[in-house]
Amino acid sequence: MKKIFVALLALVSTAPVFAAPLELASDVFVEREQKRPDGSVATILEEPKLVVPGDQLVFVVRYKNVGAQPASKFTVTNPIPRAVAFSGTADGTEIVSIDGGKNWGFLSQLKVGKADGTFRPALPGDVTHVKWNLNQTLAAGSAGKLVFRGVVR
Amino acid sequence: MSAIALSGAALLPCQTAWAAGTLAGTNIENIATASYDAGSGTIDIQSNTAIILVDELLDVTVASTDAGDVPTTPGATNSVLTYRITNNGNGPEAFRLTPNVANSGDDFDPALAQVVIDTNNNGVYDPGVDTIYVAGTNDPLLAPDQSVTVFVLTNIPGSQANGDRANVSLLASAVTGTGAPGTTFAGAGEGGGDAVVGASGADSEASGFLRVDAASVTLAKSATVADPFGGTNAVPGATITYTILATVSGAGSLNNLVINDPIPVGTTYVAGSIALQAASLTDAADADAGNFNGTRVSAQLGSVPAGETRTVTFQTIIQ
Repeated sequence: MKKIFVALLALVSTAPVFAAPLELASDVFVEREQKRPDGSVATILEEPKLVVPGDQLVFVVRYKNVGAQPASKFTVTNPIPRAVAFSGTADGTEIVSIDGGKNWGFLSQLKVGKADGTFRPALPGDVTHVKWNLNQTLAAGSAGKLVFRGVVR
Repeated sequence: MSAIALSGAALLPCQTAWAAGTLAGTNIENIATASYDAGSGTIDIQSNTAIILVDELLDVTVASTDAGDVPTTPGATNSVLTYRITNNGNGPEAFRLTPNVANSGDDFDPALAQVVIDTNNNGVYDPGVDTIYVAGTNDPLLAPDQSVTVFVLTNIPGSQANGDRANVSLLASAVTGTGAPGTTFAGAGEGGGDAVVGASGADSEASGFLRVDAASVTLAKSATVADPFGGTNAVPGATITYTILATVSGAGSLNNLVINDPIPVGTTYVAGSIALQAASLTDAADADAGNFNGTRVSAQLGSVPAGETRTVTFQTIIQ
């Protein structure tokens, strides 16, 4: 009994220290098309100084295992801001939710109930949450990033 | 994973009530969360919050809401043309209104009387009720997606001919500023952001058309003679039947059209002989349209539309 108590105490007191051997950072950029002098179009990422409805946003989630232990069962979840219509991810391995995170699946598997009782296939704009289940173990020191796009509604 | 088709749960909340898009001044906040197991159970972590402020887009449309050419008449005052102005931007914006009566490519320029805002929002110009617009004083302030009806009142020169058309346009410009799409006004946006000119250039113009409907009348008078002997000789005692054809042409109608015809010297009016459209009229100045006052016959035709003819007949006897 005493032993368990100590163990619990240790877990509580040391949690803030060990809770974050993994770092997660979120960034948003605006994607703009810029005409080169030769007439071709370059897509550039800008700091979001000026954003209006219709602009393309690129969300970048960077992660890094800064601890000494490998991390397993690594998942990343990102609720889509209400003012943003999700338009897809860079890798396509994500699962999504269209009901606030209650149910999950690949977008092509999800259906939206219409007012007349029938269903239609879910569209990217219906997505409320995006989630990556990264199956591999994250070794100490390893890092990566996940990218998704959206349009300002 | 199987298809998720939950009836209630999958019904989406309404995410965009605004056709104009996310309101200016809205913060878009993004937080990612992660969970993992480093050997001592599942741990959840959160990222920083990435925040971006939605700036104000300046966009407007003006449309003429008249079904087609608005009919008017020579010399008419306060001919009304109707326009609808819609704020297609994502922030509340005031719009400066500039009417133009001197557009090219039409037949005449009416004189600008007033620009009036449809204050009671019934789509119809109500004199004395709707507010007269004064630029810079009561520029209509419109919320995103909101519209307002505006009337442009003009006066028509008295000399305009039937069928003449006038192009009257109305320009609405965002008070914050206008320019090429993408032009930015730093810090001028709703909610502290910038204001950006949208695809419309932050101004819009539409034309309405007035068409002059002018009616005119032509009179044709003819006479037939019947002598007392069954012939057609104009001899004393012969009866002359006069026929007056009043033909209205052009467009619109003529109001209060009255035909007067003096009785020729040397003839005597046949009492009770006035007829309009073959229907007899009395000679007294009374409710019916006919009248004989001793020297002339008169027929009040009232309002006669263009394209119609009225026939008045009366008789005299040669003295």
